[in-house]
Amino acid sequence: MKGVFILKLEIGNFHVEDIKFGDSTNFKDGILTINKDEALNVVKEDKHITDADIKIVKPGDQVRLVPVKEAIEPRYRMDEGPLFPGVTGNLQQVGDGMTMALKGTSVLVVGQHWGGFQDGLIDMAGEGAKYTYFSQLKNIVLVADTDEEFEKREQQKKNKALRWAGMRLAEYIGRTVSNQDPDEIEEYELGPITKRNSDLSELPGVVLVMQPQSQMEEDGYNDLNYGWDTNHMLPTLMHPNEVLDGAMISGSFMPCSSKWSTYDFQNFKLIKRLYEEHGETVNFLGVIMSNLNVALEQKERSAQFVANIAANLGAEAAIVAEEGYGNPDADYIACLVALEDAGVKTVGVSNEATGRDGASQPLVSLDPKADALVSTGNVSELIKLPPMDTVIGELEALARDGLSGGWEDDEELGSSVKEDGSIVMENNAMFCGDGIAGWSKKTMKEF
Amino acid sequence: MSNKAVVYINQFFGQIGGEEAADHEPEVRDGVAGAAQAIAPNFDGEVVKTVICGDNYMSSNQDKAVAKILGELEDVDFDIFFAGPAFQAGRYGNACGAIGQAVKEEFDVPVVSSMNIENPGVDMFKKHIYIFPGGHSAAKMRDDAKKMAEFGNKLLNEEGPFLAEEEGFYKRGIRHQYFLPDETPAADRAIDMLLKKLNGKEFKSELPIPEQDLVEIAPAIKDLSQAKIALVTSGGIVPVDNPDKIQSASATRWGKYNIAGEDKLKNRESNEYKTIHAGFDPAAADSDPNRVVPLDALYKYQQEGRIGEIHDYFYSTVGTGTTEGEAARMGREIAEELLDANVQAVILTST
Amino acid sequence: MVKEIERTGITVVQMANLIPVARTVGANRMVPTISIPYPLGDPKTSKEEQWEVRYHRVGVALDALETEIEEQTVFAV
Repeated sequence: MKGVFILKLEIGNFHVEDIKFGDSTNFKDGILTINKDEALNVVKEDKHITDADIKIVKPGDQVRLVPVKEAIEPRYRMDEGPLFPGVTGNLQQVGDGMTMALKGTSVLVVGQHWGGFQDGLIDMAGEGAKYTYFSQLKNIVLVADTDEEFEKREQQKKNKALRWAGMRLAEYIGRTVSNQDPDEIEEYELGPITKRNSDLSELPGVVLVMQPQSQMEEDGYNDLNYGWDTNHMLPTLMHPNEVLDGAMISGSFMPCSSKWSTYDFQNFKLIKRLYEEHGETVNFLGVIMSNLNVALEQKERSAQFVANIAANLGAEAAIVAEEGYGNPDADYIACLVALEDAGVKTVGVSNEATGRDGASQPLVSLDPKADALVSTGNVSELIKLPPMDTVIGELEALARDGLSGGWEDDEELGSSVKEDGSIVMENNAMFCGDGIAGWSKKTMKEF
Repeated sequence: MSNKAVVYINQFFGQIGGEEAADHEPEVRDGVAGAAQAIAPNFDGEVVKTVICGDNYMSSNQDKAVAKILGELEDVDFDIFFAGPAFQAGRYGNACGAIGQAVKEEFDVPVVSSMNIENPGVDMFKKHIYIFPGGHSAAKMRDDAKKMAEFGNKLLNEEGPFLAEEEGFYKRGIRHQYFLPDETPAADRAIDMLLKKLNGKEFKSELPIPEQDLVEIAPAIKDLSQAKIALVTSGGIVPVDNPDKIQSASATRWGKYNIAGEDKLKNRESNEYKTIHAGFDPAAADSDPNRVVPLDALYKYQQEGRIGEIHDYFYSTVGTGTTEGEAARMGREIAEELLDANVQAVILTST
Repeated sequence: MVKEIERTGITVVQMANLIPVARTVGANRMVPTISIPYPLGDPKTSKEEQWEVRYHRVGVALDALETEIEEQTVFAV
C-alpha cells in the first residue's frame, strides 16, 4: 500500500545504572556522566535563568525536594527532531520512527526558592518516598531561580523559564544515546483503524479518553498539545504513539498530586497497558484527547465531542482519565455519562477529595451511570513526615508559597513546615502523587 | 496497664425492668452489670463502668441524659466505649447512637456498637460511631457482643488500618487512601474492570456512587419588596488584606464584611476587595468583585423597590478543597447570624 | 453551605456555573452563571453587556426566591 500512513514507534531503552558528574557528558555501559558546566550552559541559554545548579539524587538518599515543578525523561529522536515539537523546536509528526530513551531516570525541575499552587514535593527515602513515583528514579535535578518577577510572589506560576530549561536539559542529556544500540526496544504499532484485519476488528474496540488540565484562560499555564494550548482545542482523535513520543507536555496549574508531568505523558501507563491487551482482548482504537476547561458549556461541548468520536469509531468501551479534581470532576462525570448514553461502556480513573476527615463527597459531581471507577488516592489526605538531612530547593516554600498541600497557618496543625524541618501537609502537594496516568498503587477504601 | 472499657446498656439489659422501667434515669455502676457481661469475657481488659439508662428517658430527655452521663464519666479513666448491642430495637439503637456520638466527641475514645440493619439507629449514627451488623433479637446477644469486643480489642491493640470491608462494620462514609498490599497499579485495575464490564462479568467499582441527601425546600418569599436579602459567596471575595486570613483552599474560616449603604464592591486596584480562591484565574474577580458578589445589581433592585433591603454584611469563604464538614459548619454559623439579623433570603454565589 | 442555610428555613438561591455540582451538593433553587472565574460579567465584553448579564441573572435569582418549587429546580436565564 503506497503512501499509507502508519505510525510505528520504536523506543530504544538504555537502562541507567548510575549517574555522576565528570569531564564529558556521555552514556557508557549503564553509567551516565554529566559535565556540569556544559549542562549548566545549556540551562542558562535562557537569560531569564539567574542562578542554577544541577544535583544528582538517587533512591534511598535522605533528600527532600521542594518545590518540584516538572519531570521529563531524557530522550533523543533519531530523526534529529525536537523532543517536543511545537515547544522545543519546530512542529513535526511524532510517534513514528525511533526514539532513544534513558530509563530509570528523569530530569526534575525544582525552584531554588519560589513555589506555587501547582508545585510539589518528593522525598527520595523514608516514609515519604512511597507517595510519589519519582523516588524510584535516579534523578538529575535542576534547581534554579529566574528573573520572572511578575510571578515570584504569585500563587499561580507559569514557571516558563524553569520548565523550558528542564526540557533543554532533557534534550541535551538525551543526545548521549544518539549513536548507540539500546538494551531493548519497545515497539508500538496500531494499523489504520478501518484497515485492521478481522481478528482485530472482532475484538471490542476501546478508546482511551485523556482529560489533560486546561483550566486557565491566559496562556502559559495549561498542558500543550504539539505546542497548542489545550484550553483552545476541541476533543480530537490522536494516535497513542503521539502521546508516548512527545506530542504532549505538562502545564503549570493543576494541584500537584493530580498532575501529569511530561514524564507521565511520555510513559503513560494506561496507554502501555492497552497496547498489551491490543490484539488479545481488545482492539485499541486510539486516544481521544479532550481537556478540562472551566465553563460549563465548554465542559458539555467536550463531553459531546468525546462521545461522538467514540461512537462514530464504533468503540465498545472507553477508559476516561482525569488530570485533576474539583471542577474538573464535572468534566469527568460528564464524559462518562455522555459515553454511556452513546452506548460506550466506561471505566474511569481519577483521584478523590474526601477531606482530611475522609467524610466529604469524593467527587464534586456524581452520577449513577459512572458505575466503574478506579480511585487512585485522596487529595486531602494528611501526611506527616520527619525532617530530611538535605533539602533541595527551599523547604519553607511548602508553607509560604501556597502549594496546594501546604499552608502557613492552621489552627490545629500550625505551619506546614516545623522548626525542626519536619512537615505536615496534604497529599495534594505530593509530586504527581496520585499516579492517575496509571501507576498509582493506592486506592480509596471505606474506613 | 490493661485496657479499660465503659459499656452502655438499656433498662432491660440492665435488669431494671421491661417497658415499665423505660423511664429509668441514667446511672453509672462500677464494673460489669447486667448484659455488659456479654462483652466482658471477650474484651482484652477490664469493664470499669456500666451505664444503664431507660430507652424512653433517653429519647425524651436526650440532652439531660447525655449531660448527666458525660458528667459522671468525666473522672473515669477509660479507653473505649461500647453501646448495646441493640438488635432491632429502635429506641435502644437511637440511645446507643446518641450517647456513643457524645462520648466520642467529648472524650475522643473509639465507640463500638451493634445493630440490626433494620434498626433506624444505623443510618442515623453509622457516620459517627462503629456499628456492626447485628441480629434481630437478643438471641444473638453472645455473637453480637463478641464481635463488638473483638473489634474493640483490635482498635486498642493494633495499628490498623481498619477497613469496613475487612472488619465488617457498616460503611461510615469515611474514605481514605490506602496502599494496596499487592501493589496492583491503577492501570491494571482499570483494564481488569474494563474486561469484566465488557464481558458482562461482575466487577466492583472502587468508588460506589453514594445516595443523595437533600434538605427540605424553603418556602418562596411572599413579598420580596419587604424582604431582607443577604449575599453569601464561596468565591473567596475578601478585603485586600484578608483580615480573617481565610485560606485559599481547604478553608476553615469565613468572614463577614460591612457593605452597609454601599452601591457596589470596589476592586483590588482601589485597595478594597479581591479574591483569594486558588482554584481559578483571579484576574476578573480582582478587577471587578461584583462579578462574583453582585452587590451593584442587588443595590439597583433595592433602589427600584424590588427587594426590601440588603443585609449590612456579606459573607465569604473559599470553596475549593473545603471539606463538607467544614463547609457545613461554616454554613451553620453563617445561618445563625442571618437568623439573628432577620434575613429572609440569601443569594449564594459560587465559582 | 447552601444546605445548612436552607435547613434553617431561610430561602436560598445558588448562582453557580457548574449546575451539576450545585445539584449534587443539594441546592434546591439554582441559577446558572456564565463561568467560574467571572460568574456574572465576562471581561471580554463591554461594561454595558456585563451589567446587562449581571442585572438580568440576579433578577432571575430574585424570581427564584419568589417561586414555589417541588424539587431541585434550575431557573432559566
